[in-house]
Amino acid sequence: MNHQDVVAQLIELVTPIAEGRVAVITENTGITSELGLDSLKVMDLVVAVEDQFDISVPINALAEVRTVGDFASLIQKSAGENA
Amino acid sequence: MNENPRLKAVRAVRQELAAVGIDPFGVQIDQIISPTEGLIDGRPTILAGTNNYLGMTFDADCIASARDALESSGTGTTGSRMANGSYASHRELELDLARFYGKRDAIVFSTGYQANLGMISALAGPGDTVMIDADSHASIYDGCTLAGANTIRFRHNDADDLAKRMRRLGDAAADALIIVEGVYSMLGDRAPLREFVRVKQEFGATLLVDEAHSMGVLGKKGQGLAEEDGVLADIDYVVGTFSKSLGNTGGFCVGDSADMDVLRYASRPYVFTASLAPATIAATRTALRKLEAATDLRQRLQANAERLHAGLAALGFRLGAPANAVVAVLVGEKLEALRFWDHLLKSGVYVNLMVPPATPGNESLLRCSVSAAHTPEQIDAICAAFGSWTGARA
Repeated sequence: MNHQDVVAQLIELVTPIAEGRVAVITENTGITSELGLDSLKVMDLVVAVEDQFDISVPINALAEVRTVGDFASLIQKSAGENA
Repeated sequence: MNENPRLKAVRAVRQELAAVGIDPFGVQIDQIISPTEGLIDGRPTILAGTNNYLGMTFDADCIASARDALESSGTGTTGSRMANGSYASHRELELDLARFYGKRDAIVFSTGYQANLGMISALAGPGDTVMIDADSHASIYDGCTLAGANTIRFRHNDADDLAKRMRRLGDAAADALIIVEGVYSMLGDRAPLREFVRVKQEFGATLLVDEAHSMGVLGKKGQGLAEEDGVLADIDYVVGTFSKSLGNTGGFCVGDSADMDVLRYASRPYVFTASLAPATIAATRTALRKLEAATDLRQRLQANAERLHAGLAALGFRLGAPANAVVAVLVGEKLEALRFWDHLLKSGVYVNLMVPPATPGNESLLRCSVSAAHTPEQIDAICAAFGSWTGARA
């Protein structure tokens, strides 16, 4: 699972949660700063990601996540640890 | 001086409330009349949001114990137990708690919040894994933050989801700390404790159960959900509070682990805070003795809970869980819930307004906590106040 594949899947997951706030979501889009996700929506996204990738995302690791790309890297790291 | 940008979100909520002219988080009780009644804005008000489950705050024996301790031992300890020394009564209360639960030992903390902070941060650290229910109380989340451990949420009350996540940990699962609550404070729903115990045993992990809202309420002796479900012996650590059924302030943990001897010294929220005042300890010891024998109060509490639950259900309200000491009315949208809450207060009924993100399911709640000290007439008056609301009901 390469980084761009994860980013693409993540954008699909985050798009309905972001409710159209940003027209085009990319790897560099800020999850809270640009998409405006509050803490509840971030948790909705985490649950969706965990189901999609069959991983557990530690909530403490989210502190380092700013962009879609950051989250994709965390998913890859979590998937690697679970493998 | 510029406004701190970190407070932007809080300030926005305060401004939103100010615009509506209702402040549900700044209620002042001008006079407390009884465990179930106070004077608010000059109005006699039924208190149905104070977690005073057994009505112990005005118990004559508890007050007498507190008064004696106050006069004999003074107003406070002026420091932490490690620095200033423990009073004999601190340790006696710990031994009382250990005996009450049939556990090896107990640690008393200065609040229930600190009990979770203190236990979680002493039991786990960086590199460890803590598995917590998604609907956990803020004290559990904050304890995990203080611990610096990898914190993984599982779906609320879902033992299968916990097991799935435990499997992902591989060999590390045996070292994981699992944390659940007996009864969840927002909706009043119970944990499937037997299922969680099975998962803990399957992986050889450690299980901590917070019985803040079930101690004194559930079980023949009032030990909580673990007693009622017959799994108390299988739970490694039980955390609880003195500020609900025991009618006071403070928190504790009981456990069978040999580590109980040293855990307190590894717990910063234990080490670096002032210990409980002698009057608090004395009243809590008396309340604990009474709680154990309070079968009549538990029956009255359950009867009151069923009366309130049935009354609100008959009025067509959506309720969070089967009849329990916590009866939560699901109200939906925040502004409507705010107005409904204000209507209840002006009708002489105080309940808790709970709004996201503190609530599950992104839904606002009007949370009632029932007391054994409520009279049937007060319960009916609470129902009547809810019934007089003419706005949307969710």
